[in-house]
Amino acid sequence: MGKLTIGCFASLVGSTNLDFAIKLAGAAMEKGHKVDLWVSGNGTMISIKDQRPFKDYSSLEKPLKELMAKGLNVTACEACAESRGYHHDNTLEGVKRFSMDWYLGSCFDADRVFHIGGE
Amino acid sequence: MKLVAFVSDYKMTVDTLDRLKPEKLGIILVQNGVYHATTKEKGKPSSLLNYSADYYVLQEDLETRGLSGANVIDSKVKVIKFGDIVDLMFNEYDKTAWL
Amino acid sequence: MATTKLGFIVQRPGYKSENPKLALTHAIASQSVEIYLKDGDIVTADIAFIGDGVLNCIKGQKAVENYDLNSTESHIKMSLLLDLNVLVCKEDLERFGMTESDIVIDAPEFGAEVEVKVVPYTEISKMMEEMNHLLFF
Repeated sequence: MGKLTIGCFASLVGSTNLDFAIKLAGAAMEKGHKVDLWVSGNGTMISIKDQRPFKDYSSLEKPLKELMAKGLNVTACEACAESRGYHHDNTLEGVKRFSMDWYLGSCFDADRVFHIGGE
Repeated sequence: MKLVAFVSDYKMTVDTLDRLKPEKLGIILVQNGVYHATTKEKGKPSSLLNYSADYYVLQEDLETRGLSGANVIDSKVKVIKFGDIVDLMFNEYDKTAWL
Repeated sequence: MATTKLGFIVQRPGYKSENPKLALTHAIASQSVEIYLKDGDIVTADIAFIGDGVLNCIKGQKAVENYDLNSTESHIKMSLLLDLNVLVCKEDLERFGMTESDIVIDAPEFGAEVEVKVVPYTEISKMMEEMNHLLFF
């Protein structure tokens, strides 16, 4: 089994790119792969806890928690989060916050890197 | 290189796919990219299907848009699920590109 | 000791989207990644501007003056200071009627010793082949 590093820079609300990333992460973990998820830019929105779910907006807290309980390693860009007012005290439990070099460190030993950017 | 490219838009804003010349190219149509597999404009299928590539389209994203494998207009496009994407990424290709 | 090579491919103009800037700031982060690695292990970052992405390289950007934002130009110069390999597609520059004189080439005021390389797309394609992973922005 291998390691997949996923980077996603798109917003939780307003795009389904993060939904895609989470589904792919879940599918990879089901097959026994280790998965790191890096969220940067608007993607850090996924790291905020207690978002009220509405059916008109993507809401990933539940699947994210389930995948983290199974070993998904999630890290948010700290500067990107802070610039958006997403502070440590409202970060979802289990989500780490580091600077951008964490992503590159994760890529170092990844068998595959899947970078979802491009908005 | 063996590259698998993910196309998530129907109207592409970049021409990167035209330039990539990998030894092996896979194109996975996801999100609004699935329309390339199902839609004809003025009777013509999408020119995105003209590359020398292996083509795939994500079943979940077809269904989300009211489509299914029955709507796929070219038999060279294979309908796949997320688990299949994982297998393609790990077993068939060595690099990925989200375009 | 191992090296992982990452290729950052910038395909779109900046400012309306944050993505081109994030390509550069993440590439620059290759200079501090050692804290996550074993001694001797390295992550390198090469940057290529292709397609409309070459518009990021126009010199004389006044983002600080107008939006109080660091310019993409300054991030390119910072990349040069850190000796990153920065490539710009020659054919795309020509498509826009631009030459090397229109874009950021060097950063002597930053103390940078390397320069942006304007190269045919074939050179960028070769770079992409050599990378372990590609990140498209």
